[in-house]
Amino acid sequence: MHSVWAVAKNTLAQAIRMKVAVIIIILLVILLPLMSVIMVGDGTLLGKLQTFVSYGLSLTGLLLCLLTITVSTFTLTNDIRQMQLHLVVTKPIKRFEILCGKLLGVVILDILLLSVFASVIYCLTLLIPRLSKAGADELAGAGREFFTARVSLSADVDEDKIDMLAKQAYEKLERSRQLPESMTKEQILSELRGRERTQAQAVEPGAQRVWEFENVRLADPNEMLFVRYKYEVSVDPPDYRVYGTWLIGDYRQIQYGLGDWESPVARIERSELIRQFHEFEVSAEVVASDGYLALIFANNPYLNMTTIIPQEVQVLLKTGSFTGNYIRAVLLILARLIFLATLGISVSTWLSFPVAVLICAVAFFVGTINGFVLESLGVLDQTPNIIYNLTLRPILWLMPRLDGRFNPTHYMISAEVLSWRFLGQVYLMMVFVKSVFLLIFGIWIFSNREIAKVVV
Amino acid sequence: MGFVPTSTNVVRFFVAAKDEHYAIETFSLTKIFPDWWGRAKVIAVDGLDLKIRYNEIYGLLGPNGSGKTTTLKVLLSLLRPTKGRAVVLGGETRDTKISAQIGYLPEESYLYKYLSARETLDFYGRIFGLAAKVRKSRIDTLLEMVGLAGMANRPVGTFSKGMTRRIGLAQALINDPELLILDEPTSGMDPVSTRQMKDLFLQLARRGKTILLCSHLLADVEDVCDRIGILYGGRMRVEGDVKSLLQHSDEKQIHTGPISNDVLGQIERLVRAEQAKYEVSSPMDKLEDFFIRTVTEAQEQKLPTSGAVSTGEIGGFLAEGEQTSNILDRLVSAPVARESESQPGSAETAEPEPAVAEADQDTDLLEQLTKSSTIPDRRDITTATEPVETVVDDQEDVNRDVLEKLTGGTERQDTSIDKSGPDQPGEDKDA
Repeated sequence: MHSVWAVAKNTLAQAIRMKVAVIIIILLVILLPLMSVIMVGDGTLLGKLQTFVSYGLSLTGLLLCLLTITVSTFTLTNDIRQMQLHLVVTKPIKRFEILCGKLLGVVILDILLLSVFASVIYCLTLLIPRLSKAGADELAGAGREFFTARVSLSADVDEDKIDMLAKQAYEKLERSRQLPESMTKEQILSELRGRERTQAQAVEPGAQRVWEFENVRLADPNEMLFVRYKYEVSVDPPDYRVYGTWLIGDYRQIQYGLGDWESPVARIERSELIRQFHEFEVSAEVVASDGYLALIFANNPYLNMTTIIPQEVQVLLKTGSFTGNYIRAVLLILARLIFLATLGISVSTWLSFPVAVLICAVAFFVGTINGFVLESLGVLDQTPNIIYNLTLRPILWLMPRLDGRFNPTHYMISAEVLSWRFLGQVYLMMVFVKSVFLLIFGIWIFSNREIAKVVV
Repeated sequence: MGFVPTSTNVVRFFVAAKDEHYAIETFSLTKIFPDWWGRAKVIAVDGLDLKIRYNEIYGLLGPNGSGKTTTLKVLLSLLRPTKGRAVVLGGETRDTKISAQIGYLPEESYLYKYLSARETLDFYGRIFGLAAKVRKSRIDTLLEMVGLAGMANRPVGTFSKGMTRRIGLAQALINDPELLILDEPTSGMDPVSTRQMKDLFLQLARRGKTILLCSHLLADVEDVCDRIGILYGGRMRVEGDVKSLLQHSDEKQIHTGPISNDVLGQIERLVRAEQAKYEVSSPMDKLEDFFIRTVTEAQEQKLPTSGAVSTGEIGGFLAEGEQTSNILDRLVSAPVARESESQPGSAETAEPEPAVAEADQDTDLLEQLTKSSTIPDRRDITTATEPVETVVDDQEDVNRDVLEKLTGGTERQDTSIDKSGPDQPGEDKDA
């Protein structure tokens, strides 16, 4: 362990003397306070907070990822090129200890820098409301919708039903011999599923749609709950706004006419822009005593001329603090840094610095659009293609997932709780499975490598 | 020619690995460098059978590209042999138990330029698992020894080549190694530093260390090595004791004090009667000796310098195991003490008397030793590994040190190099 620690300390000393590290540190020191001043979002305090935290964390994460890639690929390749490693390996240190020491050094650097800059963002975020001229309502709104952590309940889409409808539509096209010749069966079915899914969510003028939730439990019945959504439309209205009517409560009371209602039903009418997230709050009293809650969206035909498709409808319940959620978001960034550090160290055991950097950069950018890539190659996934299964598929599995739910800013903007359980799953997969696999691969290569090999 | 791994050879290797007679042993060691397609392009080492005994200073010589450094790299597991095998200290250097006993100084020091001299030694000390207290003590001692104590906190990247070699040597010694592998150890060093380094090698060998030295500087090798091997084209061309390889046994040389022309004429007549060649000249100092004397005088005058100033003293931990109760070893340490006297700060305070006093206490033994007509040369006694070898080795030092002290012969700022150098009185006696 003393050898690992010695190498780690040396790697850290090497990293903080690298110009790229100095530039990134200076950039963050200058940009973060500047962003807290110049970023205004949609002009509200909430918008400013969301924009600053979102961009602040994204920028910090991006720059630290780039720094991690650079340092982790540089430290070993440079030691080999400058031949310092020729001296180190002649000492009583095993090859795996050198790699682990290098990795530990880079991870310590990441932890130090991430702690410092995440703390800066946190302090500036707390400072923004105090320095703003926002009124009491705006401050209270920011407290409710930003300085909190809320669990999100999403209504499940009945995929079996969608699948069945898609198959029926396919058979219908087949019978009428209208199947497009240029597409495979899987491609046609995939497209039909998407169409059915949209149709299931679409609300035509004069129609309504119901989302039902069970086991909605609040720690404090006096709390508020939040409904979050965005609108898509079939035809854009001239002012890009739609008029939505929401009923929230125990739908069974309306549906079955139970007489005296046991719980109130809230009615919300709002005119809102399309393709943007919106949120409103209602009293938690609307939840039935058995934990049942329904959301009903009605498309008022007198106010709207287009089909509205409410998307990503969520019910948000307060479950934790902003600070706890923020720490978990930062830990999520750390997971990707550890993965990239391991990838960098691993590939630099057998590749030169420029090639190793390129590989890591590609992995990083593929990770940021992982969902899109997986979706694009989803068709191949369903076919018994041996070449794909032996090459691209394992590589895609190894790629980090950095988008969607794996993006920490997603949780900060919506004040959605990032659970310890999800964080644990990310660490298990990204750090303890993928990173360890990469490290073992790197150790195997490095242990069998001739350090002073010369190719004539 | 190449190594064929038959069962007989395997048994031979096993036996060889257990044979503690040799610190380094190679069996048909071959290293071929391939091109990008894996085709054999350069045969750097070709069937080398190298055997280096414990407590021996072995010089590996050869022109550029003869395979010296490649051999060292194979010994240190930086390269894998294409054929054959290398056994170092009874095992392979990839074994951390073996590498913990080795000190290596590469031809370029390959140090981290951003680390200071102290941080560099601390880094390698940590890798060796030295306790913090021991580490600190050794670092201080080594920095003092290599003359970089005043520059301990300067980044190694700002050092001159000679200073880099010094810190490189210090890192090689931080673990008090049993085996030192040195590649061009004195390249880039000034004559004083070179002399000090050679002194150090001799003192380390005297304390039981084995040294494999690889150098282009033949004078350095000649001064310190017991045996040498000359490589050419990856093969061993010549190997043997330095003395037996270099001595002209059919020629004689006489050194005298001032003598009259009459005596010279008589000698000339006698020599001519033997029909032998005859030449008379006054002896000259070696330029190295002259240079060192000049620099030492400047150091004694404490003239300012921004360069390294070594104490010339061997690090205390490197001298561990020395039997200080033994009169011979105490006398061995005498010249070291005298060297330190010549350094700034100690020149005015140190006196030579105590060494003489110690010597007086064992007059009988000393007389016995100094009267010995056949003084054993270090080169003559390195074939054995028994402790008695060290005692015999020290006799030479005892002779010279005591003679100088008793006769007041301090004309020359002597070092232990002179003891075994080819121009020394001890060898002349033999001649």
